[in-house]
Amino acid sequence: MRTDVEDLVLRYGEATALDRMTFSLAENKIYGLLGRNGSGKTSLLSVLAGFRRETSGRVRVDGRPVFENGALTREISLIRDAGETIDIGTVGDVFYFAEWLRPRWDGAFARELLDLFGLKPKMNVKTMSKGQRSALGVVVGLAGRAPLTMFDEAYLGMDAPSRYAFYDALLADYAEHPRTIILSTHLIEEIGALFEDVLIIDRGRLVVHEDRDTLLSRGTSVTGPAAQVEAFTAGMNVLGTKELGPTRSAAVYGELDEARRRKAAEAGLELGPISLQDLFVHLTGGTSR
Amino acid sequence: MRFPSRLFAAQAWFAAMAWLVLAGVIAVIVLAVVLAAGPPRQSVWEQASQVPRWFTLFVGVFMVREYLPLYIAHGQTRRRFTGHLALTVLAYAPYAAALVTLGFLLEALVYAAAGWPQALDRAHLYSSPTQVHLVFAEYLVEILAWTSVGCLLGAAFYRWGAGGILMIPPAAAMILLAEGSVGAPANLPMLASRLRVDLAVYPALALGVALLTFLVATGLTWTLIRDMPLRNRLA
Repeated sequence: MRTDVEDLVLRYGEATALDRMTFSLAENKIYGLLGRNGSGKTSLLSVLAGFRRETSGRVRVDGRPVFENGALTREISLIRDAGETIDIGTVGDVFYFAEWLRPRWDGAFARELLDLFGLKPKMNVKTMSKGQRSALGVVVGLAGRAPLTMFDEAYLGMDAPSRYAFYDALLADYAEHPRTIILSTHLIEEIGALFEDVLIIDRGRLVVHEDRDTLLSRGTSVTGPAAQVEAFTAGMNVLGTKELGPTRSAAVYGELDEARRRKAAEAGLELGPISLQDLFVHLTGGTSR
Repeated sequence: MRFPSRLFAAQAWFAAMAWLVLAGVIAVIVLAVVLAAGPPRQSVWEQASQVPRWFTLFVGVFMVREYLPLYIAHGQTRRRFTGHLALTVLAYAPYAAALVTLGFLLEALVYAAAGWPQALDRAHLYSSPTQVHLVFAEYLVEILAWTSVGCLLGAAFYRWGAGGILMIPPAAAMILLAEGSVGAPANLPMLASRLRVDLAVYPALALGVALLTFLVATGLTWTLIRDMPLRNRLA
């Protein structure tokens, strides 16, 4: 589903959670939504899913407003850590309501996923571990097959093998049933390879929205003797530097053309990629905030 | 709008389980009374009939607290949820009233077999527990009112947190009115235990009051729910 957000503002009393955010998402892609704690990720996803109404601006999915638009919201799924879709009796009860309320619910797939995560239909949700609850949320999100599916840190409680099983299941099901998926996460290194596009938000504002490869290509680490690095990066957008003895490593943001790369080689500087996580850290203010 | 069969079925099953537990507890109490003090001189089920009131109030709170987030998270609108909630309450009240009435009938059978008097302790729409239609009508009135008011309180506390306490006075007023229409004290906590509204006791009037309470409570619930944001994490 195509999603268009224009000048989106969300306020909680005096606090501004989303500040004139504008972007568009094409359909049938996997998006990574990255942001520091309190950056507005959950607020943004909540508005996209109709969990809350925007203060101002426009939110359109397939050209239609979202809030209280039942024909649209039944095609949108947001699975959050709060567990709205699972906090009801047993796993069987969760499925009982999901298959009734979700028009594209795939019960057979849901049971497959239950087996994958070692869950049983008679398990009481209230007595499940955090990881089991997260896994059940993931099951509901995947088996709902909503054309716009969003996971807001919903898999953080799962252990590493379960998270990898989730990533595999998500990719396999996405290949078979393409849809728009937004993954909000702090586990950037672990899940970053799944993203086709990346949105980075900070303090309620959109910092970056690019396809993952382009974003990665904009980040370069320049390593070498401190003086040469300083001279080479003068006038460039330096996101951060690290020093070890006489060696300095600078993270620069922006494309390096062939001439620049040649110049770096002539100066004995080493150019390398920056990981998505490092780029994210630098673009959202470094480690000092 | 299709009937919310699964929402109703979940509450109906819950009520049936609660009824079985209540009936079991009352059977034990009656047995204990018989062993300790001899045959009971009045209906124990009547004394226990305030339990369904509080239970159905809780059911109303629970439905909003648990199912509103579930509905919205599954892509349903607040409008649709309110419609389903109202239909469920309308179906649930006679169902639960029938369970309470069944309790009186079972008690009547046991008391008759044992030769005990099934006397009543206070005024009702009915003068004998075997007046099935009047027993049913009284508990229909009570349960419709208490469940509707429970939904209202559930919505108020979900929306305003502790500020939901502001909705307690109007909620109590609606309960007092409904209880007064069947001649019963409301036994509300923190109020005089015999606080009551004295209305002439007629079944038609009582049913009218219950319907009015349902409409007012549902209308107020809708005004609270219609643009209510889902909380990120419940306290």
